[in-house]
Amino acid sequence: MTTLPTEAPPVTAADHAVSPAKKKPRVVGTTAWYVVALFICAVMIVPLLWMITIGLKSRTAVFDIPPRLLPHEFQWSNFVKGPQAINFPRLFLNSMVITALSVLGGVLTAMMAGYALARLRFPGRKTWFYLFVGSMLLPGVVGLIPLFQLYKSIGWYDTWLPLIVPAFLGGNPLFIFLARQYFLAIPYSIDEAAKIDGAGHLRIFVSVMLPLTRPAWLTMAILAFQASWNDYLNPLVYLYSSGKWPLSVGMASFISPFAGKTPDWSYYMATNLLYMLPPLIIFFAAQRYFIQGLGALGSTNQK
Amino acid sequence: MSRNAGSDVKAAYLFIAPAVIGFLVFVGYPLIRSFYLALTKYNGLTDPIFVGLGNFRRLFSTDPAFWPSLRATGYLVLLYVPLSLVLGLALAMFLNQRFAGVRVVRTLAYLPVVLPAVATITLWKFMLDPQVGLLNTILDRIGLPTSLWLQSPKMAMPSVVLVMLWGVGGTMIIFLAALQAVPTELYEAAKVDGAGPWAVFFRITLPVISPIMLLQVILQTTAALQTFNQPKILTGGGPGFSTNVLMLGIYNNGFPTLGKIPQLGYASAQVWVLFIIIIAVIALTAKFSSLWTYSDNTPD
Repeated sequence: MTTLPTEAPPVTAADHAVSPAKKKPRVVGTTAWYVVALFICAVMIVPLLWMITIGLKSRTAVFDIPPRLLPHEFQWSNFVKGPQAINFPRLFLNSMVITALSVLGGVLTAMMAGYALARLRFPGRKTWFYLFVGSMLLPGVVGLIPLFQLYKSIGWYDTWLPLIVPAFLGGNPLFIFLARQYFLAIPYSIDEAAKIDGAGHLRIFVSVMLPLTRPAWLTMAILAFQASWNDYLNPLVYLYSSGKWPLSVGMASFISPFAGKTPDWSYYMATNLLYMLPPLIIFFAAQRYFIQGLGALGSTNQK
Repeated sequence: MSRNAGSDVKAAYLFIAPAVIGFLVFVGYPLIRSFYLALTKYNGLTDPIFVGLGNFRRLFSTDPAFWPSLRATGYLVLLYVPLSLVLGLALAMFLNQRFAGVRVVRTLAYLPVVLPAVATITLWKFMLDPQVGLLNTILDRIGLPTSLWLQSPKMAMPSVVLVMLWGVGGTMIIFLAALQAVPTELYEAAKVDGAGPWAVFFRITLPVISPIMLLQVILQTTAALQTFNQPKILTGGGPGFSTNVLMLGIYNNGFPTLGKIPQLGYASAQVWVLFIIIIAVIALTAKFSSLWTYSDNTPD
């Protein structure tokens, strides 16, 4: 398990000032720290707060010059009318189904591949590992046109299949890599013991390995959720009917100007907040795993 | 033992089968097919017609949008990647300190990364609105010059990069993990030797994290070369060709608006130009990496 951004080796400039005579800069340093910290927080949080205030303004108040920071009167109805304008419940459900299935497929098949690569001996093991790792560097755009044509020829155009099936076929090579690294760290005596008890590989994988690797697949599930919920290019290319769109495409279409009609920014921002909520909730609920996964990536690459 | 090994092989192939099929269908096949399509004229309806290097000739000599798109892509990469790495590392070093509330700042700095790209990009599109956007409002209040941002040919690309940099928390978190892996003894030894903060940074921190830095240079350049969402949503490539990056050209040729004929062969040629640029960047970065990355097992 990797250690996480908790206890850091302190290397502040202030720490180098050991002599008591230099105590003053230390205090100044700390104040400066907080000014910088506040600035960082502001840059990250102010746009989001502003989004909420726009979402609460009336449709015309958005265009007041000079703009007001707070709405004159709160339009809570935007949170109902905005989502209605793009058939939000439908698109939300679309996003949920697509995301849930691609998370399941991506994590499961990556864990399976990782298990084989780390714990089973078979001819071609190294080759496949290098091929998977190498494909991480392959730009996704190379597949765009041939796969588009492939899906079209087998009747998958304007269905969710191009967004889901690839996940069930190994999907993300990064996940295979992460799974393998994690499986390598588990002592082999555990498999031996399970084998003596008469367990087959499927049994070992499901009832021994999956519980032991919970942090790994939870991390992947979170990353996969994020990737699928946020994906814009693929659904944009593969889905034609607006009723099948996930939220990403629906939200982007919300503000593209239709024949001179200005977008309803207050409706949009109210809806945007709802669109952000699922990843936000997951982020705050499972922060640990977000950071762990990326941390693992950072340290494994260092060897 | 041999029975075990045999069952191992069978099980291994079953476990790895989905990923192998996926690799063949979604990596192997498109790679070969897109190379072939790049040499054809293809509208997606009738069979592709082989034209040799015709698409590339057209790209480099007659297409008025191609050179500007290369320029725009290069500008984006040169602006974004160094800024992202420097800001990301600075932020990571800052948040690697111990002070009350540091975890809250870390969380907030990473927050934009988890938000959907479409959601944050559209939010920023409105932030950058010259009349009613927050950025100009603030600049105006504190007496700084305002800008047309996305609507100005000069400022459009820097604005796109600004929006991308709001997600610098992604780079920060990787560097933060790398910084925390630096052995504390090194810092203690440096302290004993009386090294100042700059010496510590250049002699210890930077060399130790240089392999991660190398990986980040490669990954971020590769990703930046394929930037699509931001220019697509923020500017649509404009004003003029100022933000018309290669990915937009590929998208517009391959998947044009209704009524226009898709030029899938031509778009594939553009894909291959982008692909070759990416391979070249990776190869060059890796080749010259020994000049600036630190490794403890190769004697110098």
